[in-house]
Amino acid sequence: MAKDQINNAVDQQQIQYKSGMTRRDSLKLMMALAASTLLPAVLTGCDSAPVSKTDTGAEAAKTTSEHWPELKLSPITATGYGKDPNLILPPASPWPLTLTQAQLTLVAVLADILVPREGAVPSASEVHVPAVVDEWVSAPYERQQQDRVTILSALAWIDDEAQMRFSKTFVALTKVQQKAIMDDIAFDTAETPAQFKRIASAFGRFRSLVLAAFFCTPEGTKDIGYVGNVPIGGDYPGPTKEAYAHLDKVLADLGLTEYAYPIQT
Amino acid sequence: MKDFDFEVLVVGSGAGGSMAAYELTKAGHKVLMLEAGRDYDPKTETPMFKRNGEAPLMGAGTIDKDFGYYDATVDGGWNVPNEPYTAADGSEFLWWRARMLGGRTNHWGRYSLRFSEHDFKGKSRDGLGADWPFDYEDIAPWYDKTEALVGVCGTNTGLDDMPPSSDGILQPPPKPRITELLIAAAAKKLGIPLAPMHRAVLTRPLDNRAACFYATPCGHGCSIGAAFQTTTSLIPMAKATGNLQVITDAMVKSVDTDENGKVTGVSYVDKKTSTVHQLKAKVVILAASACESARLLLNSKSARFPQGLANSSGQVGKNLMDSTGANIGALVPALQGRPIYNEDGHTANHLFIPWWGHKAQERKELDFPRGYHFEIGGRFSEPNSGIAGYVQGYGPDLKRQVKQNYGAYIGFALRGEMVPNEHCYMDIDPEVKDKWGIPVARFHWKWSEHELNQVAHGLKTAKAIFAEMGADVGELPTPEQAILKGGEIIHEVGTTRMGASPKDSVTNQWGQSWDCPNLFVMDGGVFASNPHKNCTLTIMTLAMRNSSWLSAQLKQGAI
Repeated sequence: MAKDQINNAVDQQQIQYKSGMTRRDSLKLMMALAASTLLPAVLTGCDSAPVSKTDTGAEAAKTTSEHWPELKLSPITATGYGKDPNLILPPASPWPLTLTQAQLTLVAVLADILVPREGAVPSASEVHVPAVVDEWVSAPYERQQQDRVTILSALAWIDDEAQMRFSKTFVALTKVQQKAIMDDIAFDTAETPAQFKRIASAFGRFRSLVLAAFFCTPEGTKDIGYVGNVPIGGDYPGPTKEAYAHLDKVLADLGLTEYAYPIQT
Repeated sequence: MKDFDFEVLVVGSGAGGSMAAYELTKAGHKVLMLEAGRDYDPKTETPMFKRNGEAPLMGAGTIDKDFGYYDATVDGGWNVPNEPYTAADGSEFLWWRARMLGGRTNHWGRYSLRFSEHDFKGKSRDGLGADWPFDYEDIAPWYDKTEALVGVCGTNTGLDDMPPSSDGILQPPPKPRITELLIAAAAKKLGIPLAPMHRAVLTRPLDNRAACFYATPCGHGCSIGAAFQTTTSLIPMAKATGNLQVITDAMVKSVDTDENGKVTGVSYVDKKTSTVHQLKAKVVILAASACESARLLLNSKSARFPQGLANSSGQVGKNLMDSTGANIGALVPALQGRPIYNEDGHTANHLFIPWWGHKAQERKELDFPRGYHFEIGGRFSEPNSGIAGYVQGYGPDLKRQVKQNYGAYIGFALRGEMVPNEHCYMDIDPEVKDKWGIPVARFHWKWSEHELNQVAHGLKTAKAIFAEMGADVGELPTPEQAILKGGEIIHEVGTTRMGASPKDSVTNQWGQSWDCPNLFVMDGGVFASNPHKNCTLTIMTLAMRNSSWLSAQLKQGAI
């Protein structure tokens, strides 16, 4: 695929998320791209400017009682990758993907609200997090099937909420309107209002999955700072001076200095 | 195998079977090894540098690959197609099998702690369980030989739970990580020491195996041979003598005997063709793993052995033990945002918490008889499907939270000794058979108060250590909630235990069955007790020692 075609494909994600490539194909592609050029910042995440209540219409439209979509999901009947899959070249598409185009687009928008582009670090959808979410919720294993119910319900709830508040799908809302809903459901704490408890918990599961999918990409792994999996000649070097210095301070703060384990540097 | 005139038949290619084959072939005996799983070549099949993001589901564990996509185990796990097992009413037990050449050694944790004199004589100490039929001094030289051959890193600590190796045996351990150093200080304040873990990982090259290069997760397997697995060490070394041949996909269904009760060989199913074959041998060594060897014996009934082979004591299948297990962890605020460096090292414990309470138990200050240790998790590891942790919100601040918490979660895994009890055993299911028509194992299981009290103590201790680190593990679960299932730690042993008398044991101290002099057991089945220390080093040590004895017997014509 030529570079401009890829850029076009990425551009279209603004309206409709395309997930034509398998994730592992896309990983290869993204790595190739990273070597040749910087990806354009086509998707913007939420902005962090304060939002006034009049902008969001929140006072008028905010739901005050719990609603929950009762989804009728057809069961996943695909088989798994089996007990002896190829570990060197994993199957490109281990099972059929099941998210609809509309769901994928919503996942992409939400994923980029959760993990927006920051400078040179791409957003979640730029590194194909929606494809991973699709693979996950389409997987024929027990844990993933549970997550499927949770996550698809959350997606449906978010569109229901958008309709109730603003008479549009979530994707069609303004960023300010999207943020208003996010502010109600993205914090699962003791203070979360009763009507948002269930969605906050379900959205939390979605958030964990998006974060995992992001940090497992080469870009995300680099962003979190993981520096391992690099062959080292000679003995394992152990902590850096900076890391030891930090430990010393931690031990001092905790009153543990006199119990420090002897270090041979 | 028409042109291979073998003397000894070994069932199983894992730790015990491969060590037996190595020792015997080196001594000049022709050995034929049968493995129920498929052939496996770590040189070409190990996904050494593969990242989670390249695997389905970010490498997360599934029923197909319990320990994650890239776990080296192929065709195995707690659930093996075509090979069911059952549990009696009210019992729950998980039975791990690795159906591949090299067995579980391809993926194990490689923790290699010696049992001590204390561990071998539990019954003499507190009246529970059974003593082993030899002393630590008898086996110490064999631990040395095994550690030198296998390649174990660690140090002599002087701690009473860690008997020293002879000088020059252990390879140097890797430097501790920051998380381990913090735990060490917090624990020491409570009078609990940490020590370098002993692991079957090379930090110096040995024979044709390379030293660890401190990259790639050990659980993926190790094609460079640094992390011990029999497929990169003992099996090729035994083959190099010209005295070993291996048949894979060979599911042994019975051990065959003649009218005098002497073992004549085995019958096995070739899984590829579903045909049954018989092999004759002078000596049969069972090293199929504890419960598989016991299953074989119980299924090998004859007019002379109506209760199953080698079972005149009625002890085959009894005394089933696993290690106790429980997990507890927390976010340690003091470690949030700490300076990042490469914490892979070899990808398991550099320091751990050995059992420190022998003296307190002698003084009867504790309400449980046997010890435990803590294995430690928590480092800057490669992101996986669980990387997010507990975070809130969205946007740039969300990612900042994950980064802030990266490397700040610490988990303790308790591994403790279980005392055998009458409720924990395996027998043969009267109805269920596997795909090959072989009656399957049925498990019976119940933890006793010894294990529950031990786990309760472990949880409280861990909470106290976390508190010294400024971390809160929250409200503790009850031990009944916290203790993992039987079989879940995959340290099941004891089903063909050794002893001093044929009345209450299945084999003598050489793993030789009391009932049939040419039938040996060389897997964890022979354990008379299951100290909290992971079992594989002792399985290998016993297999080496007992194969050496067997070789002498063969050469003297005694067998």
